[in-house]
Amino acid sequence: MKKMWKGNHAIAEAAMRAGCKFYAGYPITPQTEIPEYLSARMPELGRTCIQAENEMSAVYMILGAYSCGMRCMTSSSGPGISLKQEGLSYICAYYLPAVIVNVQRWGPGLGTLDSAQTDYLRDTRGGGNGDYRVIVLAPNSIQESIDLMYESFDIAEKYRNPVEIMSEAALGQMMEAVEFPEFKDREGELDWTYDGTNRPHGKLPDSEKSAAALAKYTKIAEEFQRWESYRTEDAEYVFVAFGLPSRTSRNAVDQLRANGEKVGLIRPITLWPFPIKAFEELGPQVKGLISVESTDTGQLIEDVALAAKKCKIDVPVYGLFSGLSISKTKAISEFYREVKSGQRKEVY
Amino acid sequence: MEIVFAGFGGQGVLTSGLIVAEMALEEGKNVTWMPAYGPTMRGGKAYSVVKYMDGVIGGPDMEEIDILVAMNGPSLEYTELLKDGGLLVVNSDAISDDEEIHLNADVVRVPCLTLAKEVSNPKGANIVAIGALLKRSGIFDFETAKEVMTGYFEEKGKGKYTEANEAALKKGWESV
Repeated sequence: MKKMWKGNHAIAEAAMRAGCKFYAGYPITPQTEIPEYLSARMPELGRTCIQAENEMSAVYMILGAYSCGMRCMTSSSGPGISLKQEGLSYICAYYLPAVIVNVQRWGPGLGTLDSAQTDYLRDTRGGGNGDYRVIVLAPNSIQESIDLMYESFDIAEKYRNPVEIMSEAALGQMMEAVEFPEFKDREGELDWTYDGTNRPHGKLPDSEKSAAALAKYTKIAEEFQRWESYRTEDAEYVFVAFGLPSRTSRNAVDQLRANGEKVGLIRPITLWPFPIKAFEELGPQVKGLISVESTDTGQLIEDVALAAKKCKIDVPVYGLFSGLSISKTKAISEFYREVKSGQRKEVY
Repeated sequence: MEIVFAGFGGQGVLTSGLIVAEMALEEGKNVTWMPAYGPTMRGGKAYSVVKYMDGVIGGPDMEEIDILVAMNGPSLEYTELLKDGGLLVVNSDAISDDEEIHLNADVVRVPCLTLAKEVSNPKGANIVAIGALLKRSGIFDFETAKEVMTGYFEEKGKGKYTEANEAALKKGWESV
């Protein structure tokens, strides 16, 4: 039978089921329930959970453990993930996998404890120095948090690239009824890890790294886009939203449809690579795209506009930015009506 | 169904939500529970939102409230989101009966703390409020509620309070 689980606890348990053997992290609200849970759970399973002396130290422990092939992860909130960027950049430089969870809170600096999506641009663009990307997965329910976490080590190892689960404060704190998959371990062996022999570790000379990066990220972008399209077949206006705002947007679609409005929703599940293919499926009847996001100035909307350009959808792109809250269903419906009646100006 | 329990931190408004969420789960509904609180353990505004339905639940936060339990004065600000014809349970130990509440809603005033003390369970004011709201709204029957609540506390290793908590639930149920 399904049981009520808090988002953060559920992600932590899912990581265990996925074969995570080592966790290093540092406390920060609203993600502290992850290390809190693991500090009790991992010793039970004979695994290792370390509260590092700081965030940087934690990310370098992950770099070290994964270079030897150990499934491992770290987690934090926005400010802590900023501190981890140097380590993430190195993980990418060495072509190593890693799994990171970012339970976002609002704002620059220390920000607040409110739920938000204000780390979108940093996390989808790499975040540290150099030209790399992190694969970013955005669940919108606790079950999906579990399912994506369960897959994340396989994905990270397949592409030898970090995978981030991008959660939100409210998604980490709320509870829903969920089910867990069985415990698993890696299938097969990684052939590049440091194992005490002199086998090749897949290291590249700098002269080859540029082309290799382009090849790797082009491949991921091509084959790893995920999304959910909802009632878009004949939609004239399409909302684009991920995470919790995608849930209120979906409600708004249902309410507006009940009143005869032709609206739909694209919900990106991979934020990088951005699901451009979802936009290729839109028909010529589309009159506008509306990005619904918990940001202050608009971040997701940049990818929406780029996706529209790539797919030659020449329509205005509007943005509903709710800052440190989640847009309510009513607010989304009202915004749509204002867009439709020409009272709102497009951003792109 | 959207139910909000609001009060000061320490009044048990998060726990109230969890208990009612378990009742909805027991009936096979989709359920969300979301807490909101400040950085302090005691005092400060706190609330929890429980939503349940057969279909897909949208956002977990307050949108249009069916039932609001106001354990303290500041919680009355959420009546803004209370639906017409909704239910407002007021903790009259914290909100004076002289305070006029003009709403197109069913308003019941329950001295939650006084009643909890009467059954020697002063920490059970939140459970008294649950009893009152269940009886008034008719959303779950008493036996189901009692069983689920007892299971909830027993799982948390708090089985020794079962009798006191059941008495508080009954007290609230009989108060309206």
